[in-house]
Amino acid sequence: MESHLISNGIVLVMLFGTAATIWAVRRSRLWSSAFVSLWHRRRLALLVTAVYVGVALLDSVAWVGGDSLGGDTVSLHEARSVIDRVFGGSQEKSYSAPLATTEFYGGRGLRYPGGHWLGTDMIGRDVFYLTLKGARVALLIGGLTSLIAIPLALLFGISAGYFGGRIDDVVFFLMTTLASMPGLLLLIALIMVMGKSTLAVCVALAVTGWVGFCRVSRGETLKLRELEFVSAARALGVSEFQILTRHILPNLMHLVIITFVLMFSGLVLSEAILSWLGIGVDGSWGQMIDQARNELSRDPIVWWNIAASGAALFGLILAVNFVGDALRDVLDPRTVKDEK
Amino acid sequence: MNLKSIHSGARGLGWIALWALALLACNNNPYPATEGDEKVLYSSFREAPRSLDPAVAYDTGAHAITGSVYDTLLEYHYLKRPYELIPGLATNLPSQRPGDPGYTVYRFDLRPGMMYENDPAFALDEPGRTTREIVAADVAFELCRLADPAVNSPVVEPFSNIQGFQDFGQALTQRREDPAFADLPVQDQYASLGGISGVRSVGDHGLEVAVRSDYPQIQYWFAMPFTSPVPWEAVAFYDGQEGRPRFADHPVASGPYRLDQYDRQSRMVLEANPNWYGAMHPEWAAPGAVYPSEGAPGDLEAGLLAPEWVGQSLPFIDRVEFRREKESIPYFNKFLQGYYDAAGVIKESFDQVIDEGGLSEEMAEMGIRLEKGVEPTIFYIGFNLDDETVGRPGGGPARKLRQAMSLVVDSQEYTRIFTNGRGIPAQSPLPPGLFGYDDGYENPYRQVDLERARELMVEAGYPEGIDPATGKPLTLSFDTYDTSAQGMLQYRFFTDAWRQLGINVKVEATNYNQFQEKVRNGAYQIFMWGWVADYPDPENFLFLLWSDLARSKSGGPNTANFMDDRFDALYLSMKSRPNGPERQKEIREMRQILEVERPWIELFHREDYALFQGWLENVKPFGMSFPMTKYRDLDPAARASHREDWNQPVVWPIWVGLALVIVLIVPGVVTFMRERQ
Amino acid sequence: MGAYVIRRLGYGAIVVFGVLFLLFILFFTVTSPDDIARKALGERVPPAVVEQWKINHGYDKPLFPAPGQWADNMLVEHYRRMLTFDFGRSDADDTPILERIRKGMGPSLALTIPLFVLSLLVAIPLALLVAFFRETYIDRAGVILAVLAMSVSVLLYIIGAQYLVGKVLHWFPISGFDSNPQVVVRFLALPIMIGVANGLGGDIRFYRTVFLEESNTDYVRTARAKGCGEVRIMSRHVFRNSLIPLLTRIVVAIPFLFTGSLLLESFFGIPGLGAITVDAIQGNDFSVLRTMVYIGSLLFVVGQILTDLSYALVDPRVRLE
Repeated sequence: MESHLISNGIVLVMLFGTAATIWAVRRSRLWSSAFVSLWHRRRLALLVTAVYVGVALLDSVAWVGGDSLGGDTVSLHEARSVIDRVFGGSQEKSYSAPLATTEFYGGRGLRYPGGHWLGTDMIGRDVFYLTLKGARVALLIGGLTSLIAIPLALLFGISAGYFGGRIDDVVFFLMTTLASMPGLLLLIALIMVMGKSTLAVCVALAVTGWVGFCRVSRGETLKLRELEFVSAARALGVSEFQILTRHILPNLMHLVIITFVLMFSGLVLSEAILSWLGIGVDGSWGQMIDQARNELSRDPIVWWNIAASGAALFGLILAVNFVGDALRDVLDPRTVKDEK
Repeated sequence: MNLKSIHSGARGLGWIALWALALLACNNNPYPATEGDEKVLYSSFREAPRSLDPAVAYDTGAHAITGSVYDTLLEYHYLKRPYELIPGLATNLPSQRPGDPGYTVYRFDLRPGMMYENDPAFALDEPGRTTREIVAADVAFELCRLADPAVNSPVVEPFSNIQGFQDFGQALTQRREDPAFADLPVQDQYASLGGISGVRSVGDHGLEVAVRSDYPQIQYWFAMPFTSPVPWEAVAFYDGQEGRPRFADHPVASGPYRLDQYDRQSRMVLEANPNWYGAMHPEWAAPGAVYPSEGAPGDLEAGLLAPEWVGQSLPFIDRVEFRREKESIPYFNKFLQGYYDAAGVIKESFDQVIDEGGLSEEMAEMGIRLEKGVEPTIFYIGFNLDDETVGRPGGGPARKLRQAMSLVVDSQEYTRIFTNGRGIPAQSPLPPGLFGYDDGYENPYRQVDLERARELMVEAGYPEGIDPATGKPLTLSFDTYDTSAQGMLQYRFFTDAWRQLGINVKVEATNYNQFQEKVRNGAYQIFMWGWVADYPDPENFLFLLWSDLARSKSGGPNTANFMDDRFDALYLSMKSRPNGPERQKEIREMRQILEVERPWIELFHREDYALFQGWLENVKPFGMSFPMTKYRDLDPAARASHREDWNQPVVWPIWVGLALVIVLIVPGVVTFMRERQ
Repeated sequence: MGAYVIRRLGYGAIVVFGVLFLLFILFFTVTSPDDIARKALGERVPPAVVEQWKINHGYDKPLFPAPGQWADNMLVEHYRRMLTFDFGRSDADDTPILERIRKGMGPSLALTIPLFVLSLLVAIPLALLVAFFRETYIDRAGVILAVLAMSVSVLLYIIGAQYLVGKVLHWFPISGFDSNPQVVVRFLALPIMIGVANGLGGDIRFYRTVFLEESNTDYVRTARAKGCGEVRIMSRHVFRNSLIPLLTRIVVAIPFLFTGSLLLESFFGIPGLGAITVDAIQGNDFSVLRTMVYIGSLLFVVGQILTDLSYALVDPRVRLE
């Protein structure tokens, strides 16, 4: 019952994080020009991403009260979001095709003829509504996990790569131990021991997700450390902290971006796999795909369920990937130089 | 540079062409080509059976193996309906004579000269020996195993009707407290207790079993693998130590087939048992070893009594391959490609296969045959009546709660959505076709009535579903072993219905074994369960609600833990009564009790739609879970030619793909050259 | 170098100890043997049943060392069992775990090795090609295609390919496995193709990024300015100097070939370690899952050592000491 409050809180934190990022971007000339050029390159992808985020936010503001949904009196005592209130409650008995006026099999009349833009699923739930609800789940999984995992990975990766010696030993040991456990298996093990819940899935994804990036950032730092400009800075007596923040970190930024993007989409995609294993997050697109995958073999074929969830998933991943690609081009000074 | 890049491009095309060739050479036959003309039956399994021990195995999946591997004293006639018992390992049906007061003695005579399959276990008794004769003492040994609490057989209850059966089990438990006794091999333990007092072997081949006179149904149990002869050597030898498998994984066959390969992950293979009495002694023409010459009306017309088979010695099929198929759709698609010989109709393909209750034209053209019939089954949602909220401790309000919950579950809708309407909405536990089934009966609590249900909720003390103790909707748990997404949709159907009453039912899904474990330990509130008849008698359904068999009391199959004195009295009286108006009346009264008490929400009686390939011959659906493989035959040549027809690879996409690659690459290379220059 | 190898091996051993400790934390404290028993038996079971189950499955000792029990506790027992490969029996169906693993290794490798090799053979040349044609429409189309390919869930690949290739086109069996090498090729072709297709987008994108980064370095520009041929630049300079990130990705992947592929094996009915793991997950079989994580980790440690050694071989700038 209280889980909606936690999720809401997390989404709020993400919102503040985004606001802070925007503020920071606007303050820095370099970053704001980067953003402008990003906007020029990938307007559509950015807009699509924004739509997903908007839907997710609308689905996150939830409260108890209001009318019951189609005679379901338990729902009176459950928190329902804006999306639930606007799109929920149009329950049918079974399958109906998009915008149909009768049921798909048998042709009985619907309670809301023509009211289901994307049809209804096996037990009569509105597919459009379910698809919209998937957005919040996807963003929660991808965003929250990335935000936990990347700073962690950077911290460990840079310290290990740069300082070497004792610190490297300790950090490297910690990292290797965690990292040596096969990702998907550790992920599954974590979820299974923590019990299946959205938070468990995110934490598990974060614990396993930072590993790859940590290795890359450590390797890259190892390489950077040996480069002339770092040696020169060190010889000039620049403090370690400054070297790290001025020279090492910025040179890892493009990796951070690429990683964030790869991770974000990777996370949402791994959730689909978890759903298939039966330990995903309730209401995710992965779960919808899993429920719908056998429908493709129905004759006549029931396609709208898997098409809606598959397309929603694909759309988000694609948009994020494109944004990330463009961000990389924009942010990576080497690429920029080359193109001029 | 330019030259080189063109070369590598050409090489790439060469690779693609090679792949294309490899594709053309390939085909989609999942079996080695050499198997084409053998009499092999292809079947499948989803989960490996938990145990192949005939004393323990009690589900359809395990019976597919144990039923073919372990032969029984009696068996069912393959064709005759109503079902009729015929002698199997025994020479005749058992003779009966009165025994001690209240007991009847059944006398079985085994055929002399029958042997077990060859197995190293037999060297235990006499070095170098690989088989031995099947004797009556082996059946007595198996009956002892059923009584042995350590074996943990699920059918202790019906066998407790054998004189001294329970005493034997208790004596074993007592004596085993002495470690010296517990360390003895089990056969010695049984022997030192003198076996079960009501079971006596007479010479090598005679067996006398004293059974309570009010349980004539015992004979049916002698047609099930539980009572197969089991050599003590096999139990002693296959103990799971030193690399030897457990007896539960290594059957020692007395039946028409032997287990040749057993890979729980992927494959099980049965092979004709050369030591089976039917194979060694065709001259006996034993009833269980030759194809029957008479059947039910209509069998002759259906070609089931063709001279080709009548009187021929069994089995016709040399080998049965079971492949693991976790998913139903690939399995069904392989059936349509001719790689499985039989299949059920899966719900996804229902409309493709079935047209207005018959086979669709497309399927009929393929030569596929459809056999359908209402199975002796009942699917139901049960309440654990030991539970404080939904069960007996909750008293009248809990009964009202059950009634209310029963009133909102729509069986008709359920079968329509989830089983394509294959099933008859159930009004009582008894399925059609059984004595006591009443076609005109309508259970008032099995008609959907939301208004009445809401009233009952108020009367039960949960107005609008609110639990006065918490002020929140009443929360119950629904325990299940189906974790699949599709399964969840099913449970969603029920929970959505109950949400209409304001009850919040949460689904707790675990795997099958764990679910059984949970049920064994009473840790459940609501469950969904099905029952397939062991034998065709109403007793075999109504016993599921007899208090002596309550899960919590005796570990019996009364999973709802329904205990009602009146019901029990009626049950005991009905049990030994012959079919007739008296019995009908008692059954009706029992129905009345169930109607009000609602231990179950009866859902439906399953209707089986079985598909068989045209080349599979002598198929008559049996209804109960007995693999009648030895009677079946098939035509490998017809199968091979159909398979070839149905599986011509479609190759044009390869050429289209190749063309597409060329169309994409060539202009690219051309543009690039131009730009570079 | 010899000393380094020994040091790395010793380090690997320490990591394995760390992994085992983490596994202990996860499987014995975060979820205790009682939890596992209750998951297996149900929430409301009587304690006696739980105790019996724990004895049967070897979970009946105190968790941590304590006076008088320095050797006889679950922690020590856990290390002893894992290090001696004495994995015991499954929590769900009591079969010996080691035997299952031994049986599953073959089918897994039969799937993953060709899949791995083929992926490399397809992805690296394609990435080189795309990088070679950079800033032409081939590059742009390649990148877009790669992104598109990456954005499709592997579930959709499998479902689609099984339907199309298996059911409609009849090229290969829909699913299954056979130990007969002639037959097994048919079964593996489709999962391998799907595996390659699924990884291709990401691989190409990654390799292209690496190659492009390398081809923008000063020495490559210099070489180009000197009139060095583009093909020569790509093969001699760019490719060679991209080996570090490539190796990171490749060598690390090798050990995981042994643990198979969860999805492909499960969907295609290949009885490998991946399918065993999936069965374990669906059956709450913690002992099998624990063993699989341990084996995966062990293999990863080996891969890690190999990577570091190859780092040292390829890039002398990475100091060893």
